[in-house]
Amino acid sequence: MRRLSRAIRTPLLVALSILSGCGGTNSRGGANSGGKILRIAYDREIDLLNPFTSQNLVDISFSMIEGLVTTDESNRYIPVLAMTIPTKENGLIVSNKDGSLDITWPLRQNVQWHDGVPFTSKDVCFTWRFVVDPGSETYNREQYLGIQGCRMPDDHTVVFHWDGEYAFYDGLFEAVLPAHILGAMTAEQIVKYEPFNRGSATVGTGPFRFAEWKAGEYIRVVRNDHYWRGAEYPKVDAIVWAFIPDANTRLNALKSGQYHYGRIQPTQVKEVAGQADYTIHLIKSNSVMHLDLGIRTKHGQALFAEARVRTALFEAIDRKAIAEQLMEGTVRIANSPINPVSRFHQPDVTMPEFNPNTSRRLLEEAGWTVGSDGVRVKDGVRFSFVILNRAGAADRIVVAQVVQSQLKAIGVEVTFETLESAAWTQRWRSGQWEAVVSAWFLPADPSLTGLYACDGANNMAGFCDPSLDTVLKRSDHTMSFPARKHDLDEVQARLATTARTLPLYYNVVPEMVSRKVGNYRGSGTNLGSFWNVYEWTLAP
Amino acid sequence: MGTYVRRRILQTVPLIIGISLVVFGIIQAAPGGPEGSLLGTGRFVDPQVILSYRHRLGVDQPIPIQYVRWLGAAVSGDLGVSFATTRPVVNLIVERLPATLELMASSFVFAAIIAIALGIYSALRQYTTLDVVATGVSFLGIAMPVFWFGLILQLVFSVKLGLLPVAGTETVGATSLADHLKHLILPAFVLSFRNVAGWSRYLRSSLIGVSAADYLRTARAKGLTERRVIGVHAVGNALIPLVSIMALNVADLFSGAVITETVFAWPGIGRLFVQAMFARDYPVLMGILLMGSFTVIVFNLLADIMYGVLDPRIRYE
Repeated sequence: MRRLSRAIRTPLLVALSILSGCGGTNSRGGANSGGKILRIAYDREIDLLNPFTSQNLVDISFSMIEGLVTTDESNRYIPVLAMTIPTKENGLIVSNKDGSLDITWPLRQNVQWHDGVPFTSKDVCFTWRFVVDPGSETYNREQYLGIQGCRMPDDHTVVFHWDGEYAFYDGLFEAVLPAHILGAMTAEQIVKYEPFNRGSATVGTGPFRFAEWKAGEYIRVVRNDHYWRGAEYPKVDAIVWAFIPDANTRLNALKSGQYHYGRIQPTQVKEVAGQADYTIHLIKSNSVMHLDLGIRTKHGQALFAEARVRTALFEAIDRKAIAEQLMEGTVRIANSPINPVSRFHQPDVTMPEFNPNTSRRLLEEAGWTVGSDGVRVKDGVRFSFVILNRAGAADRIVVAQVVQSQLKAIGVEVTFETLESAAWTQRWRSGQWEAVVSAWFLPADPSLTGLYACDGANNMAGFCDPSLDTVLKRSDHTMSFPARKHDLDEVQARLATTARTLPLYYNVVPEMVSRKVGNYRGSGTNLGSFWNVYEWTLAP
Repeated sequence: MGTYVRRRILQTVPLIIGISLVVFGIIQAAPGGPEGSLLGTGRFVDPQVILSYRHRLGVDQPIPIQYVRWLGAAVSGDLGVSFATTRPVVNLIVERLPATLELMASSFVFAAIIAIALGIYSALRQYTTLDVVATGVSFLGIAMPVFWFGLILQLVFSVKLGLLPVAGTETVGATSLADHLKHLILPAFVLSFRNVAGWSRYLRSSLIGVSAADYLRTARAKGLTERRVIGVHAVGNALIPLVSIMALNVADLFSGAVITETVFAWPGIGRLFVQAMFARDYPVLMGILLMGSFTVIVFNLLADIMYGVLDPRIRYE
C-alpha cells in the first residue's frame, strides 16, 4: 500500500505544480487586467493573427489590425484608414488612354501603429507587394493581380496603377500590415513569422492591442490608449475571446451569464428567445444555402443535363416548408445567389414554385417514366442519385433529408453519402458528385463569375454557357454601378430560368448579445460583427 | 527485474517506429488534405494559392518520401511544424500537455479514492441499500455518454445554480487558485465518473473473490484485527488486478480527455487533437498519436512492474 500511495503522489505533485501556473501562454500583459472586460464566447481557436494568411474568419485580428476599408451592418464598404473610397465621381479614379487606371487612396494622418511608429503610404504599398507575392498564400490573391504598380506621392497618399477596370477594387485591403516590422522579410518568411502570427509582434493601428494568447483557451486584447479616433475610443478596456467550439457548451456559457456575446445555431434560437439578459440578433449572413446538381460524372450528366429535368426536380422541393418549418422561420427563402442585403440583389427573379404535379408532368415529357419499383427510368437508367453530405453540418443534412423525402414523392430516389469535413471538401472540389447541399460565403460585393463561368475556379457542378460567361466577365470589369447591376440582374435571371442551382434560403447567423452591450451593429460579411467594436459600450 | 525492464525499453524502439509507420499510413489514407481548412470557410480561394500551400507543406510529395522526411527529423527530436499555425509541434504539445495532465491526474486521483472506498464498502456490505445504489450508479456511469453527462452538469451547476463556470480554466480578470479549482471540478468529475464506476466494480469482485482465501482465515486465527485483515491482506491482494486495469485506463483517460476537453473548452491535448484532425494537420496528429502510443507503452510497463511489486510470487526474467 505504501508503494501504491507513492504512485498516487506523483500525479498529485504534477497537478499541484500545474496549479502554480505553468502553461502555454504568449503574453504582453498580466491576466488580471480589470476594468470593463468584454467577454466573447467564440466558436473556434483561430490559427494565427495575420489576416491575410489565416484560414479562419479574422474578426479577432481586425480588433487590432485595420485596413483601408471595412464593411458595415449594411454590407457596404466604408473607409477606415482611407480618408474616403475613390470613385470616378470624386475624381480619385483617373482613366488613362491605354485603358489602365490610376486609383488614388488618400490616407488618414496622425495614425500610429501600436508601437508608436507612424502609419504611412509605405505600409500600404508593402502590403500590396506581400499579397501579390505567390508565397503569401493570401486566399484572394488573384483579386489584387490587376494592380500593376503602387506609387507614394507623399506619406499619406497611395496611387495604384490598374491594368483596367475592376469592380472589386474598393473591397481590397481589408487589412494593412506594418512595413517597419515585416518589410525586410520575404513573403515566405512572413507567412511563418511566429511573433506576428502569435501576438508578440502583432501590431496594428486598431482600437485594441495584443495582450495575451493562452493556447487553446483565449486571446485577450487591451485598449489602445493612442487610438486615432480619439481618447474616448475604445469604450471598453479589454476583450477576451474565449474559444468554445462546442455549440451546446457555448450556449450554456451564454445562458450562465458569463459572456457578453456569442454566435449560436439557428436551431437554438427558440430555446433562448425568452432570455431576459440577452437579445438575439438574426444577422443576415452573406451566404445562401442551395442545392447543386453536378454533371461532371457520367451518371450526373445522364440525369441532370437537361434544364427541363432540373426544373422538374426544383419544383418538387418545398422551399417554404424548409424555411418556415425546418429552420423554424429564422431564415428567408432565396431566389438568387446574391443576398438581399446586397444592392446587386434582384428581387424580381422568380424561382419554380412548389408544384409536384408540374414536376411529374415535366419528367414524363422528358421521357422519365415510373418503373416497377416506383422509381422513374429512362433508357435503362434509374432516376436515383446521391447527395454528398458533410458530417457535422446538421443544417445541411436535415435539408438533404427533406429533399430526399420530397423527391421520393415524384419517383426520384435519393441516397446519401456522408464524408467527414476535409474528405467532403476534397470530393466536392473534384466535381465527382451528383448533388450537394452547400453554402457559399460571398464577399460584400459579390462576383458570380468564379461560381458559374465555364472556367470558374469554383464551378464544381460543371455547367457551361459561353454566352453567360460574356455577361459575367463584363460585370467584373466595370466600375459603373448601373452597368454592373444590369449585368448581374441578367445573370441572376438566367441562372433561374436555366435551373442552374436551387437557392434554398439565405443563411442567418444568430448572435446572442448581452443587454449590457451598447452600440452593437452586427454585420453578415466575412469581416464579421466587430467592425465597430471601438464604440461598443459595456454597462456595469 | 532490471534486465527485464531494460529489455522492455529496448523493445519500445522498434515498436514506436512500427506504430509511427501505421499511424502515418492511416492519417494519409484519410481523404482530404490540409487545404480543406483553407476552403472550409466557404470563401472563394485562388486555386494557385492552394497549389502553393500544398507545395510549402510538402504534401505534394509521394507519401513514402514524406514519411522518411518526417522520421528523419523525428529521430533528432524534431516533430515538424504545424500546418495550421506554422509553429513547432513540440511547442504546441508542451504548452497543451500541462492542462491535460492536470485534468487526467485530478480525475485519476479522484476516481481512485472514490472507487476504492466504494469498492471496499460494496464488497463488505453486499446487497445492502448502498451497495445496490453503488451498483446502479456504476452501470449508469459506464453507460452514460461523456459529452451528454458534461452538458447536463453544465446545465445544473452553471446555468441553473450558478455555482460553477461552464468552460475554460480561469476567469480572465479574476484569476486565482480558487477560481481555477472551480473550473476544474466539472471536467475532472466527468472524466473520472466512468472510472469510478468501473474500478469500484473490479475491486468489489476482486475483494469478494479473495474473501474466502486461506490466508485471511490464517490471519484471523493469528488474532489480527478485522481492520488489519481487510485493510492489509484482503485489499492488498484484491488491488493487484485493479492496478493493472488502472494503469491501462490511463490511455483511456487520454481518449476520454478528447471529449471532456471539447465539452468544457479545456485547453489540453485532446482539443488540440480534434483541431488538428479537422484541419488535417498531419505533423500535429503524428506528434500527439506518438505521444499517446508512448504513454500506453510506458503505463503497460509500469503495470507489469507494479504486479511484481504488489505480488512477490511474480518474478521477471
